[in-house]
Formats: sequence, C-alpha cells, structure tokens
Amino acid sequence: MNKSKAPRELGLFQAVMIGLGGAIGIEIFVLLNYATYLAGSTIVPVLFVCGIINLLTMLSFCELGAAVPEVGGEYSYAKAAFGGFLAFLTGWLRWISNVFGAALAALGFAYHFLYFIPTAIIPVDRSLLVALIAVAIIVVLTVLSIRGTRQMGAMIVIAFIAVFLVFIAGGILYGLEPKLFYPTTLEESSNFVAAVTYTFLMFLGMRAIAAGGAVVKEPGKNIPRAIILSAVVLMALYCGIAYVTISIVSLEEIAAPTALPLSIAAGKILGEGGAIIMTIAGIVAALSSLSTAIMVQSSITRGLSRDGYLPKFLLSPHRRFKTPHIVIIFGSIFYILFAATGVVEFVGSVAAFASLFGFALVNLSLLKLRVKKPYLPRPFKVPLYPYTPIVGILLSLILLIFIEPRAFSLGVGFIALGLLAYYLKMVGYHRIRISFGGMSLGIGGFTTLLAYLIGTGFTLPLALSPQLTAILFYVLIFVSIISILAGIFNIVSKG
Amino acid sequence: MKVRKFVVTFFGVTQEVVGVLAIVFAYVLYYNLLHIRTNSEIPLEHVSIYLLLLFVFGFVSILNGFFLLRERVELDGESGS
Repeated sequence: MNKSKAPRELGLFQAVMIGLGGAIGIEIFVLLNYATYLAGSTIVPVLFVCGIINLLTMLSFCELGAAVPEVGGEYSYAKAAFGGFLAFLTGWLRWISNVFGAALAALGFAYHFLYFIPTAIIPVDRSLLVALIAVAIIVVLTVLSIRGTRQMGAMIVIAFIAVFLVFIAGGILYGLEPKLFYPTTLEESSNFVAAVTYTFLMFLGMRAIAAGGAVVKEPGKNIPRAIILSAVVLMALYCGIAYVTISIVSLEEIAAPTALPLSIAAGKILGEGGAIIMTIAGIVAALSSLSTAIMVQSSITRGLSRDGYLPKFLLSPHRRFKTPHIVIIFGSIFYILFAATGVVEFVGSVAAFASLFGFALVNLSLLKLRVKKPYLPRPFKVPLYPYTPIVGILLSLILLIFIEPRAFSLGVGFIALGLLAYYLKMVGYHRIRISFGGMSLGIGGFTTLLAYLIGTGFTLPLALSPQLTAILFYVLIFVSIISILAGIFNIVSKG
Repeated sequence: MKVRKFVVTFFGVTQEVVGVLAIVFAYVLYYNLLHIRTNSEIPLEHVSIYLLLLFVFGFVSILNGFFLLRERVELDGESGS
C-alpha cells in the first residue's frame, strides 16, 4: 500500500493504547465459552500459552514494523520481501481474517444486545436479526465518517481496562476458591492445543501497532516496547478474567452457545448492575471490533485494488463523504453472509485459520527480508534469530492442524478463490475472454450432440413426455446456436 | 459498428438470461419445486451431477455474456469519443 505521509506524532503510551485497542474487542466476551468447553479448567494456561505464541510473532512484527514502517502491516512486509503472489496471499488472508472478525463482532453484538430484550418481543431468529442491524449500523457510520468512529479508541481502551480490573478485583474479594466445576481434559492434549488455536484471535489485534508504525515517534524504540507491553497487559488481564470466570460460573451455565460467561460472572460478583455494565462493555467491544474490522478490510481491499489485484472501481470514493463506500459495502455483504451462519465457533475458527496462516507468512517475510534487504534500518532485531521466526512459523502451522474441520475447509476454499483471482489477473483479460469463448464453443458442441441424439430417438435417463422431449430438443438447439456464436464472438474479439 | 453493437448486445443479453435460467433451474431441481424432479423420475443420487452441469453451464454462460456486454460498453465509449 502507499507510503503514509502522516507525521510521526504518537508516543509509547499512545502506541500501547493502539495495541490494546486493537486486541481488546469482542473476542474475550464470546470465545471464552467454547474455549472453556474445550480446555476445561486449563483455560488459564491455554491463554498464557496463546499469549506467548502470539508474542513470538509479534517480535517479528516489531522488527518488520520498524524496518518497513508503512501503512498496510503484513501486506507491506510480504510485498517488500516477496512481492507477487505471496504478497497478494498475505493481503488476502488478512482480508479473510477481518471479514470473519467483523462477522464475529456482529454476532457478539447480537448476543449481548439480546440480553436486554425479552424473548417475547423478538421470538424468532433474534441473533441473525440483531447481527444484521449491527452490520448495517456500522456500515452506515463508517461510510458517513471513518474519522468519527476512530476517535473513540483510547477512551474505550481505558474504560475496558477499568471494567476488567474491577471485575478481577471483585472476583478476588468475592473469595475465589478453586471449585472443580470443570472437567480437566488435559488427558486429551489435542483439546488444549485446539483451545489455544481457538483463542488465538484474542491477542492478534496487537499487530495494530505495527500497522500504525508510520505515525509512531521513534519507531525503532517505541514499536517493540509497545508490542511487548501490550502483550504483557493483555495476558495478565485475560488470564485474570478467565480465572475469575471459571471459578464462579459453572460449565452448565455457559453450555449454551449464546451464554455470556463474563456477564454471568459479573452478575454473581457485583450484582445485576455488574452484569449490565459487563454486557454493555460487550456491546461496545462488539461495535469497536466491527468498526476496526471494517476499516482494516477497506484499507486492504483498496491496497489490493491499487496494486491491480482487484478491480479499480472499488477505489472510488463517495462523492459527498469522500469515504471508500463501495469497498465498505462490498465487504459488508460478506460480513452479513457469515454473521448469518449464527455460529460463533465456526466464524471464529475461520478468522483464526486466516490469521495463523498470515502469521506464518509474516515470519517468512522476516527471514526473507534479512537475506534480501540486509541494509534496511532495523533499530529492533528479533532475538535468537533465525530460531524465533522459524519457531513462529512452525507453531502457526501446527496450530492450523487443530482448526475445526469445516472452518479449515472454508479457509482453504477462500485461498483457492484468491489463487484464481490472482491467476486471472496475471493471465490478462483478453486471454480469459478467449478461454471462456472456447468453453462456450465446447458447451455449444455438447448441446448440439445432445439435441442430435434426442432427434434420432435416443432415450434419455429422464421420464419426459413426448411433448416435453420436443420442447427440450428445441431448447437445446437454441442454446447450442447461442453458445457457439457467442463463443466465436468472444474468441475473435480484439479487446 | 451498429450491426456489431446489436449483435454483441443480443448475444450478451441472451447468454446472461440463459445462464441465470440454468442456475434457477438447478435450484428448482434441487428443491423439487413444482415436483419437477419427481415427475422427471430423476433419482436423488443423480441430482448432484445435474446441479454440477447446470451450474458450470450457467457460470460459463453468464461470463460469456458479461464479456460481450462489456464490449458493447466499450463500443459505446469509442463512438462517444
């Protein structure tokens, strides 16, 4: 993406706020359910391990963020390191991750919003309805003014930290005891790893620091510090939250996918008021995550369009508001589609798949850039190079194996779609047109043969009346003529 | 130029319509609307192959139509300038 010309005006504190703002979102509110179901009482070590694994790749982000301080994050790193397909794939994976992240946020909004609405008012398919409303609200807000939604960042982060600290402190004062509500499922170590994979999303928003590296003062010093500080704060907060939650809430209480473990725990610790505040925090987190995901998605799509991987018309700004409304609306179709599945585990798993794959590519970019561009300024260097990025790659790939199978399949499908888009772009319009013209010609030939067989009395494996068979014959003749002629026109075209 | 415009528009629109109809027919077949699957005595295990054929045909047809209609837009641009 383009080099940013924005002045470097953010210090360490603001950079940490960016990291925490990127990471603290709806994930901790909605992913804890299923993660606890997978890991049982080992959820706290799961989050700790997850934080450590994230930190490994964040170190790569640190070095790359300082060496390639451009807007676009990992896409820019892969572009500097490899260019071509791997850069496109990295941007594509980030796009997938954000689209599913937005869908997750919309679902999170729905679940939290429904806390305040009695079942009698909206009796059917409530989650989907509210998810759609959430997406619509954010799309409109973002199209009208991206700047307005961005300015809420720092205020929200401080408010969240305050709410979480009150929650943890309240839990400790409440008198936590290691109640054995949860079955220890460590004997199935795959569950532990699957939970690590699933909770991966909770931390990866920290990369917002590296993506915004272009506006951070003394990036060589501040970006690495900010990422490490953010990781430590997040690990402490999330482990504390998880510990308090599993000490207070039983497995039965959070068994339903729509259950809100943090709200239930807050209700027990702080009373009804606590539950309401935590639920409102969930709503704000959802809206904040949704807004961030939409902005990042729009930025990536514009970058890919600018570099010629996607159609240029996506770049057109709104005549009045000057916002990239086509990109935002284009992405929102996908958020709505995936939010409509209504399954948090599935949506979260696809987002994790794309992020993990992307993390492997970031580490690969670091290795490549060290060799290809050793002269780049690197005020911060990954310790224990090359082992750290190699371990980062291996861990990302290992975690990928534990992704939920349906989510894995869809992720692979999306990558295949990206490959196709890239291939079509590389081949060029004229050749694609000729190839489709050839296919049309082939279809025309096939339908002609079929019409001939019917005309000569060939028995089809269909129970059609003589009248219908005659109609089918004429339809096939018509289709074959159209297909053959359209194919010829496309093949002989000059454009 | 006028003949070419007419030809690409006619074939482009027809290809689009045929392609969309093929996909609509695939859905009709899948959901057995108007009992079309039952009346045609198509076994359930054969439906997937019909769907595949209809989708591939519809997809190719729609894209072919798109290329022709795009040529029409380009011809309009040339004659306009």
